[in-house]
Amino acid sequence: MDPLLLGAIVAIATIIVLFSGVSVAIGLLIVSAGFLLVFDGARSLELIPEILFGKLDNFALLSIPMFIIMGASIASTRAGADLYEALERWLTRVPGGLVISNLGACALFAAMSGSSPATCAAIGKMGIPEMRKRGYPDGVAAGSIAAGGTLGILIPPSVTMIVYGIATETSIGRLFLAGVVPGLMLVMLFMAWSIYSTWRSGDTSVLSAGSYSWAQKFEILPRVLPFLLIILGVLYAMYGGIATPSETAAVGALLCMMIAMIIYRLWNPRDLWVVLRDSTRESVMILFIIAAAGVFSYMLSSLFITQAIAEWIGTLDVNRWVLMGAVNVFLLIAGFFLPPVAVILMTAPILLPIITTAGFDPIWFAVVLTINMEIGLISPPVGLNLYVINGIAPDISLKTILTGSLPYVACMVLGIVLLCLFPGIATWLPDLVMGPSL
Amino acid sequence: MSGHSSAAAAQTGSNPFLRAVAAISTVAGWCSAAMIVAAVLITCQMIVIRYVLNGSTVWQTEAVIYLMIAATLLGLSYVQRLRGHVNVDLIPLSLPARVRFVLATITSVLTIAIVAVILWYGYEYWHFAWERGWRSDTVWGVKLWIPYLAIPVGFGLLLLQLVADFIALVLGIEKPFGLE
Amino acid sequence: RLSHQWSNNDIRHKVAQMVADEVAAANVDLDIKIFGSQSLFKAREQYKPLSRGQLDMTVLPLSYAGGQQPAYNLTLMPGLVKNHDHAARLSASPFMAALEEKMAQDDVMVLVHGYLAGGFAGKDKCITRPEDVQGLQTRAAGKAFEQMLAGAGASIASMASSEIYNAMQTGVLQAVNTSSSSFVSYRIYEQTKCYTPAGDVALWFMYQPLLMNKSTFEGLTEAQQQALRDGAAKAQAYYLEEAKKEDAESVKVFADAGVEIAQMTPEDFAAWRELAKETSYKAFLEEVADGQALLDLALAVE
Ligand code: NA
Ligand code: NA
Repeated sequence: MDPLLLGAIVAIATIIVLFSGVSVAIGLLIVSAGFLLVFDGARSLELIPEILFGKLDNFALLSIPMFIIMGASIASTRAGADLYEALERWLTRVPGGLVISNLGACALFAAMSGSSPATCAAIGKMGIPEMRKRGYPDGVAAGSIAAGGTLGILIPPSVTMIVYGIATETSIGRLFLAGVVPGLMLVMLFMAWSIYSTWRSGDTSVLSAGSYSWAQKFEILPRVLPFLLIILGVLYAMYGGIATPSETAAVGALLCMMIAMIIYRLWNPRDLWVVLRDSTRESVMILFIIAAAGVFSYMLSSLFITQAIAEWIGTLDVNRWVLMGAVNVFLLIAGFFLPPVAVILMTAPILLPIITTAGFDPIWFAVVLTINMEIGLISPPVGLNLYVINGIAPDISLKTILTGSLPYVACMVLGIVLLCLFPGIATWLPDLVMGPSL
Repeated sequence: MSGHSSAAAAQTGSNPFLRAVAAISTVAGWCSAAMIVAAVLITCQMIVIRYVLNGSTVWQTEAVIYLMIAATLLGLSYVQRLRGHVNVDLIPLSLPARVRFVLATITSVLTIAIVAVILWYGYEYWHFAWERGWRSDTVWGVKLWIPYLAIPVGFGLLLLQLVADFIALVLGIEKPFGLE
Repeated sequence: RLSHQWSNNDIRHKVAQMVADEVAAANVDLDIKIFGSQSLFKAREQYKPLSRGQLDMTVLPLSYAGGQQPAYNLTLMPGLVKNHDHAARLSASPFMAALEEKMAQDDVMVLVHGYLAGGFAGKDKCITRPEDVQGLQTRAAGKAFEQMLAGAGASIASMASSEIYNAMQTGVLQAVNTSSSSFVSYRIYEQTKCYTPAGDVALWFMYQPLLMNKSTFEGLTEAQQQALRDGAAKAQAYYLEEAKKEDAESVKVFADAGVEIAQMTPEDFAAWRELAKETSYKAFLEEVADGQALLDLALAVE
């Protein structure tokens, strides 16, 4: 059979199986096993455990649970609230101060957590009730946190960047740096929109919600110190010649656990177990998808589908920006339905050769890809951040969260356009710190 | 929305088999979490040895990798119990209860089938490594049957939890896809 | 189906491609599909499916399978190979015949023999003698080299080759030992003060043959087998020539990047070899029952 036709059949089968409600990892395994059985013979099934094990046999994957633990351990303390409160005390005079400080807290927290749901949960637990209390509409309260939480995978550390680095053999340290400026850019865009929308609504009670004395403003600062220490410590370990990025994750996890236990007195074994349980659950879920996606990409490669698609795209004579537009639409759609790691692992082997042949920088592309994945996190049907918000504020309807986060999706699309116009936004910092890219 | 609020977990009712399986999966989850913590500590120890003491780090990288693999595979059943394996429930949500039950039955049987296949070949692979005395090609030279053991054990536990979930579905203890 | 870990412009891919092209040209109804860049199996996961017949052919550093057949560790042993011509003589010696017997136990056979060489790179200084690595954080390619370098007082750090560049840049690593092609493809020259390439004498030689599943080969028709053998013979000659060129190429790249080039003298080589005898050879002999016999066979090759 023609590999391209076969590829189309695989795509349809994958969509049907994943929409049946079976878990994503198992669904990928079912599709892979089915096609291997029919087109490669029963003996190829013998290989599945070997491939599963082989895909997990990678030191860099260690950093995924580590960067998740970092966020989770801090999120379970008062730290999120402290951070949020500090920003709020300092930003009250800014129009929309509260939503601004929430977004700022999300960005800062994202610098400590590799995962978006964790960032969303940490700030949302405090931020959403507070914003609603002060009269912000439910949509703004939920939408800003849902969107701000997605920064967790753009601002380093980032689980998706690690997975991309592994899948494409690009430097993880460089990928992390590439996310910094675009992450700040998105925060600015989010904030700009928030200020504009609050100002437009003309609700003055929201604008001047609280006022704090200078004493109150300074008193809170020491409580933000642990955050800065962790962020600086991790950065120093990573770029100061102490450890490789994957090893640094462990340092970060240990630091965060220690700070949670010592400074925030998270002693109770029950509370500690909640942190570990949630981290284990998210990590195992992600790592199982990584392993299953490995079997899926083995199937695609073994049936020559990956190679055929890459060849086919190579023969198309299209403008590189048209190609990039098509890739973005494809990623956006994939991101609607699948968690980021699954999208990256399933598409990277096909997309990367196309991208590099068309003359795009793989580091820059990682950032574009990540922003696409961020959009997927706040869009149905599989939007992990939506579920988190739903867990924090069950009385806000999914529809309200969605409409609330829509303007922020527009900000992210604008961010992608800006990145296409000015690729330097992503590549400037890594080039500055680590020299021109390979 | 199955699998995302932290309260969600497999329903056991008062069925002793379901409760026993839930307990086994929970213990597996503890082991998995303990392995992740061990991996954190070993990695930090490795950095200290190398950076502070300028010593050799021969076994740490490999040990951490095997711990992470074992944590993932042993954690599968526990995460299944917590409904933590993310899925797309758009279609199940929109189906009438009857059809939803049929769909849940089909997906459960398929899931059990694929996990059983992996368990079977996983056991075979482990046995092959054990029989041939395979070792890793490093200075440490770990006997590979030890890390490979996580494949049959992890998928065996997952199979057990899936069978329990299926029974709960058939007995009506658990709603299809956990949806009301 | 042939699997390997390298990109399309690597000489090991070209060797595989040459065999595939020759077989295709022979018109014997045999089509070799090449899966490069680890697109099918990860680098170290290729030997097991090959031996079980799930994969037909692979280009593989044989020492990767040292965990399955400890005798293979001799194919990446410091000081056993002096230069490329010596390597070619080893490939045709009773030593290789003994190794091929071991491969036959795993249902594996060799189509194309070939060795590639490598050297050392230092972040701050030249590495030519054992004393030079004392106290340096070093990343070595291969178990036997790790043992020898540890014996010289180096601290061994293990990491993926894709991490080397950053690790050298940030100072996590101070010395690296790997193949000439990896030095170039990972742009290690940007982070190196001094490079010790494979020259008239070199320490690091790695046997990287094109292997095939034996039963699969024997299941082919006589004409197909002959086409494979003919293609392999042609590819083997090409492999040897290109392997020599690759070392020279790496020297040029490093020199152009302004890196100091150091040469290992025969005395340096002897010092390393003495050290290796005390460390990696010794560990090898402890691990492999018939190790001494194999080692003698290898050392007997002039
Ligand atoms: Na982050
Ligand atoms: Na989505």
